[in-house]
Amino acid sequence: MNRDKITRLLQDRVFTLSVTIAILFIVCSIIWPATFPTFDNISLVLLNLSIESIVAVGMMLLLISGMFDLSVGSVVAFAGSIAAYLMYWYGMYVSVAILVGLGLAGLIGLINGFFVAKVGINPLIQTLAMMGIVRGLALMVAGAGIQNLPEAFNAIGQSKLLGLQTPVWFMIIVVAIFSLLVSRTVFFRQYYYIGGNEKAARLSGIRVERVKIIGFVLISLLAGLAGILLASRLGAALATSGRGMELRVITAVILGGASLLGGQGKIIGALLGTIFMGLVSNIMILARVSGYWQEIVLGLILILAVAVDVLAQRRAGTTPREYVKRASEVTPPKVEA
Amino acid sequence: MKIILRSILLLFVILSACDPKKGALYKQRQLEKQQTPAVEINEDEEYVMVTTIVNFPMYVNHDQAAFQRWGRARGVKTSILGPSEWDVQAQIATIEQVIGTRPTGLLINGTDPAIAGAINKAVEAGIPTVVYDSDIPNSERHAFLGTDWYQIGKLQGEAMVELIGGKGKVAYMGILGMTNMEAGFQGLLDVLKNYPEIEVVGKYDDGSDVEEAARITSDLLSAHPDLAGICGFDAMSGPGIGLSIKEAGKAGKVKVTTVDWEPEHIKLVQEGVIDVLIGQKRELFTWYGAQFLFDMVHDTNPLSSNDDKAGITNIPYSVNTGLLKITQDNIHLFMEDHS
Repeated sequence: MNRDKITRLLQDRVFTLSVTIAILFIVCSIIWPATFPTFDNISLVLLNLSIESIVAVGMMLLLISGMFDLSVGSVVAFAGSIAAYLMYWYGMYVSVAILVGLGLAGLIGLINGFFVAKVGINPLIQTLAMMGIVRGLALMVAGAGIQNLPEAFNAIGQSKLLGLQTPVWFMIIVVAIFSLLVSRTVFFRQYYYIGGNEKAARLSGIRVERVKIIGFVLISLLAGLAGILLASRLGAALATSGRGMELRVITAVILGGASLLGGQGKIIGALLGTIFMGLVSNIMILARVSGYWQEIVLGLILILAVAVDVLAQRRAGTTPREYVKRASEVTPPKVEA
Repeated sequence: MKIILRSILLLFVILSACDPKKGALYKQRQLEKQQTPAVEINEDEEYVMVTTIVNFPMYVNHDQAAFQRWGRARGVKTSILGPSEWDVQAQIATIEQVIGTRPTGLLINGTDPAIAGAINKAVEAGIPTVVYDSDIPNSERHAFLGTDWYQIGKLQGEAMVELIGGKGKVAYMGILGMTNMEAGFQGLLDVLKNYPEIEVVGKYDDGSDVEEAARITSDLLSAHPDLAGICGFDAMSGPGIGLSIKEAGKAGKVKVTTVDWEPEHIKLVQEGVIDVLIGQKRELFTWYGAQFLFDMVHDTNPLSSNDDKAGITNIPYSVNTGLLKITQDNIHLFMEDHS
């Protein structure tokens, strides 16, 4: 293998993260042979990261186009709460209640997308405001939480297939579908063009607003799906679900290769990012590292991820000063075609 | 002869008074005996506490401090795990992953009914499991220690009624959506509804944030200049309410009842800003919770020749550790411990 090829591989976050995860796996298997590499432990790690991975897929898509959504955690709580509310208080069919939950989640995404893409509101402001509104709605709907949900609903998140709990399979399906869509379809390639250079994308005939709106709808739908799976897994809908999820998901996605500047990232990177964070969390529990360290570790991982991104960009010719400047311009200025 | 008899009698009285069972040395020895575990402790014994918002000062200063003190007194290992935010899902994930490491006992903060499944998994795995703070319905936990949040609200309501003479506008705040806090709100409302001259002007979410509690209070004071009282339900409500009331110069005019008795709460009572504190005996949750686990593991009080086979546990099923009420009258007693 020549030097250029090695350099390219080392710059590929999917490759480096996969290697890091593999090394972590081997080291932990040696340190805790009886507890870490067991099927029970690994399936639990996958189960615990499955909900966030589904949301991370949507966040990766948005970050590829240079946007992000801070309302995802609230949408997770809201979608689960509304479905549970309809089933519990109105005896609605499980399937219909789930569809309503997903539909309303999609509507939230549509509103976010409309205000960001059409009206031109900064995604930070728009989704931050939506985060508060949707959390309030979830609180109104679920109150102190809704328990005793129908068995048919609980079975969705609590059943197992080949030893793995259903949310893990949902995660695998979502990652597989979006990986294929993003790598094989022309429509999803447009997110890279928009993230890479919105002006050029617009001039080349891409309907930027429409693509952006669809991006927000998709992430909200995925957050809705995650919320329904979470409520089903817990057997309860909690208005407090998903608090702080947006930060964890963005961390995982940046770790998985997305750039704050947009135009970069692969869907599989989102999964690898959440797997890495899930493993770190598992290791801290096995090593009995106090929970005090979790925030610190999460912060350090985020800094590490962004530092790697800055270094990669520097190789591509972007200075750290330019990087910070461009990263803070979350909404590129509108350019008339 | 009489003198001899009297001397013997006197000697008998003196000796009786010097009963070695009542002496200081005897008492100390008895105390030492009690503190020394009668059972052999395995060096691998590890008791794990799984909580949420693990660095929350109230948990750190009360629950966790007592748990660690207990571990040192017993000579066993204690570990404290859990997310740094109020994240039920992350707490469940932690419990489930800890089960695989086979701890000696699990002490779980009863945050939300949704953690029942994880508790049941621990019990099914044969791990002694005790829940503290709030009970978890539908869980198979071996024991529960804590307080009744409905009672916390009820006590606040009764105190508020007394403070405002049964009439006026009252507001309350806490973390909306949390099961235990909602039970507390209900307790408060159930008391206040018996007083038709009391008007409840609102229920507010301060998100356990001092600044937010202060902002809400300040808005309330502007919107209702005749506000009679405010009740706070989370640890940050009291300091936030107190801050705004002091700034508005309404200390003593607007009556305040809140929960918890951290140093900042105590100071506000001392200053006459907070009138009544309803506190939980949180140290008892985790000290006795850990002790229950220990007693279960070591079969300290067997009730049959084989309790496992008999399908019983030799620890209490449910313990209400009770509440304490702090006012200007008894504040000095609590300041000594928190100076």
